[in-house]
Amino acid sequence: MIKFVLDGEEVISKSPANERLLDVLRNELDSKGVKCGCKEGECGACSVIIDNKLANSCLVALGAVENSNVMTITGYSKTSRFAVLEKAYSHFSAVQCGFCIPGMILASECILAENPDPTEEQIRVGISGNLCRCTGYNAIVKAIQLAAKEGRGLW
Amino acid sequence: MVKVYNPKSLKEALNIRQNHLVTPYAGGTDLMVHPDPNQTYLFLNKIPEIKNIVEDSNYIRIGACCTFADILKSPIPPTILKDAINLLASPAIRNFGTPGGNICNCGGKKQTKGCKGCWNFGKSGGNICNGSDKSDSAVVFFATNSKLRIASSTTERIIPISDFYCCDRKDALATNELLLEILMDRNDYSNYYYKKVGARESVSLSRVAFAAIINIDSSNIITNLSTAFGAVSNVIISEKQIDKMLIGKTIDEAKKLKSAYLSAYERSVKAKEGRVSSNYRKSVCLNLLGDFLETKGI
Repeated sequence: MIKFVLDGEEVISKSPANERLLDVLRNELDSKGVKCGCKEGECGACSVIIDNKLANSCLVALGAVENSNVMTITGYSKTSRFAVLEKAYSHFSAVQCGFCIPGMILASECILAENPDPTEEQIRVGISGNLCRCTGYNAIVKAIQLAAKEGRGLW
Repeated sequence: MVKVYNPKSLKEALNIRQNHLVTPYAGGTDLMVHPDPNQTYLFLNKIPEIKNIVEDSNYIRIGACCTFADILKSPIPPTILKDAINLLASPAIRNFGTPGGNICNCGGKKQTKGCKGCWNFGKSGGNICNGSDKSDSAVVFFATNSKLRIASSTTERIIPISDFYCCDRKDALATNELLLEILMDRNDYSNYYYKKVGARESVSLSRVAFAAIINIDSSNIITNLSTAFGAVSNVIISEKQIDKMLIGKTIDEAKKLKSAYLSAYERSVKAKEGRVSSNYRKSVCLNLLGDFLETKGI
């Protein structure tokens, strides 16, 4: 059994240690905010934050997160930082079908946590592992820039 | 139930490796693309002894299980390595992938008695241990003539990285061994060339990756020249004998030998078919080689 902290609460998984974290989160722990896209680290839909680092949960084995902190969009959506990002994404209509957005929001969090005042280039690099087939990215980039401005002091 | 091996020290990890058939798990970013439910992973991602980046009087020592993100943040590794890593995959993969896994991962293939091991979770140990010719960090370790420190619970050895790869996705790691460190000689790597050709800039497998180091002294004599091509053949191509043609020559002499040097590479490079044609790969190799020489005044 593997013990870790999921969205602030300690959980114990009974799944095999070599199972994908993505599958454990969705199927065993009912954390459906984590989306399953490509299962090979290309799309970023399954992004989570592990010990303050952006991760593709499809490429992480359950055993690797023993005693780690895993945050999904479900936990992150309760934070004041999320509220700023949500407002900024809404302002620019940066969400269309929405499938990429849980991962995109967590990537946005990691960009701003590393650098509260990122350049456009740094933002584009920061979301380069998160694919969006709807928006063309410009609205998302603008939303992150707005969140950096409106949320000054939060990151 | 598959057993879980989550050692907290290197000694514990080597003892497990000695006594059980396990698949080393460094970063997981290659290994988990094709996870095998029958494999037993030896999780190495939280062992401090193989996550350091330090330097001593002889070497820059890169722990096999430090992540690519760790390398980018450290002031110690040379810029050529950071340039290669900046073009490797995406931020999330660089957070977990390792050079050791990049060297050792056997392409994420399952661990069998014939296949020596797989490292993953985006670490240097993984990018080397995967035995893949597309390992972008390993191309730099070839061009810099890096060495690998490998140990079992009872033995330790240091080998040139060029001796590590047996053939496509196979490496020289025994089933009781682990890659501990990549050792880069403390040479001057500031005069370098690195280019990756892929379908796009991020999250893209190399079609060709090329790294080169050149050292030119104050008399305009080439004192060192070392090149490496990744993603071209089944193993990384590093032709020391051809590179020697220009070592010890002045820039003017090298210019006269340039045509013979490029012709030697044209005869030597056997590019494989794959996502792109062998002719395309070979043309890119020779173009990059020519651009490298021209950039360096040859």
